[in-house]
Amino acid sequence: MISDFMSRTDRQPQLGPLEIRVMEVLWASDQCSVRDVVEKLERKLAYTTIMTTLDRLFKKGLLARQKAERAFLYTTRLSHQDWQRQCAGHLVAGLLTGSRPSRELLLSSLVEAVGRHDVNLLDELEEKIRAKRKELCRRSQD
Amino acid sequence: MSLNYTWRLLCLCCATFFLLHLVLALVTRLSVGTAMRMAARLKPSSAARLLFFLRISPMALTLFALLAFCIPSYLWLEPEAAGERVGFACFLMASLGVAIWLISLTRTVYAVRGTVRYLAQCQRYGRKLQVPGEPSPALLLSQKAPILAVAGVVRPRLVVSTTLLRGLTAEQRDAALRHERAHRTSRDNIKRFLILLSPDVLTFLRAFTALERSWAKFTEWAADDQAAEGDSHRALSLASALVRVARMGAQPKLSYLFSSLVPDDDELTERVDRLLRPQPNPGKPAEVLLPFLTSAGALMACAVTVVLIWPDSLSLVHQALERLVQ
Repeated sequence: MISDFMSRTDRQPQLGPLEIRVMEVLWASDQCSVRDVVEKLERKLAYTTIMTTLDRLFKKGLLARQKAERAFLYTTRLSHQDWQRQCAGHLVAGLLTGSRPSRELLLSSLVEAVGRHDVNLLDELEEKIRAKRKELCRRSQD
Repeated sequence: MSLNYTWRLLCLCCATFFLLHLVLALVTRLSVGTAMRMAARLKPSSAARLLFFLRISPMALTLFALLAFCIPSYLWLEPEAAGERVGFACFLMASLGVAIWLISLTRTVYAVRGTVRYLAQCQRYGRKLQVPGEPSPALLLSQKAPILAVAGVVRPRLVVSTTLLRGLTAEQRDAALRHERAHRTSRDNIKRFLILLSPDVLTFLRAFTALERSWAKFTEWAADDQAAEGDSHRALSLASALVRVARMGAQPKLSYLFSSLVPDDDELTERVDRLLRPQPNPGKPAEVLLPFLTSAGALMACAVTVVLIWPDSLSLVHQALERLVQ
């Protein structure tokens, strides 16, 4: 079932940890050259490593680039939010195109998870109300 | 296409409606962001009022322009010739005008029919229950679903299920009923009816969805404030009633012309958090329909004055209509 799902999500470019970090740098800034990205990354990496990573992201269609003097300037093609939305969309689409039993199993797990989340949320709200009631009682006694 | 005097008037009315409404609706759509930011700074009842007027203003202003200028200018200045050719663009706009009206009317008729049928069933199978402060007896339903809503447009009735009544403490019940009473006194169902009747920019785009959701949120907040009346204990009772009702399970899908206690689970956290913070007493609910009717009357009086002082205004409108026909 998992391999089934993985093959179905092939259309969404898979990103490695370094690629994600590079994308995050680019999402945070308008336009970056290879040197800018090297400087902005927390972990110091070789110039050529970042250049190759940026080139790979460009080929995956996630970045646009234009030549300025002798270097390329890179920009993202998708906003961070759009990327996340696309990932979520692919994930859900992948879940829903499976065989009928696996689809039902996954959906019921999803519903159960949402239900658990709702119950936890209501518990939290009730706790808040209880705390507020205690505070009001204390204040009226004072 | 050649049309006689009356059909031409109808065609012109529909085309003008489409054109004016499109322009006004687009202007309104562009101002929605600013209006929502403004609304966030106002008290909930004022915010709801602002967003409601913004939502129905394209329809109201378009109808006003039609009734005050277009129809009189046509009736006064158009010669009753046998027939006149109507251009394709005018015909297309008239068709689109008819289409957006038909869509609005259809969804309104569906909602009204759904509400009337539901209320008829409630009256048939439910029991009448006298609730203090309610002008007519509430309808008590023996249902598992937690229902507490004000239903209907002209004479709204309170509908409540036994599950909900039994599941709440006396204080929670009182707070919940006060909330529903606030919806009734603010005539929220009439506003819902007018919103349904008001076409969107282009109906299939649903460009006013954010505005309508925001209006619905502020309406709930305003009803919460009315129910609490600035009293922290009452606000707490209402907050705990909301959580208790949410725990009882999902409400059945009711018509848009229902004002329910918990219409949207997504807003629940925000509503409860708001109720836990001290809110000022909102005072007596402001009348909405009277100022609306007064301003409509004042606008009509202004239009008549403009026509009397400056009769050429009608001939200018007539020239514009002639261009539209061609």
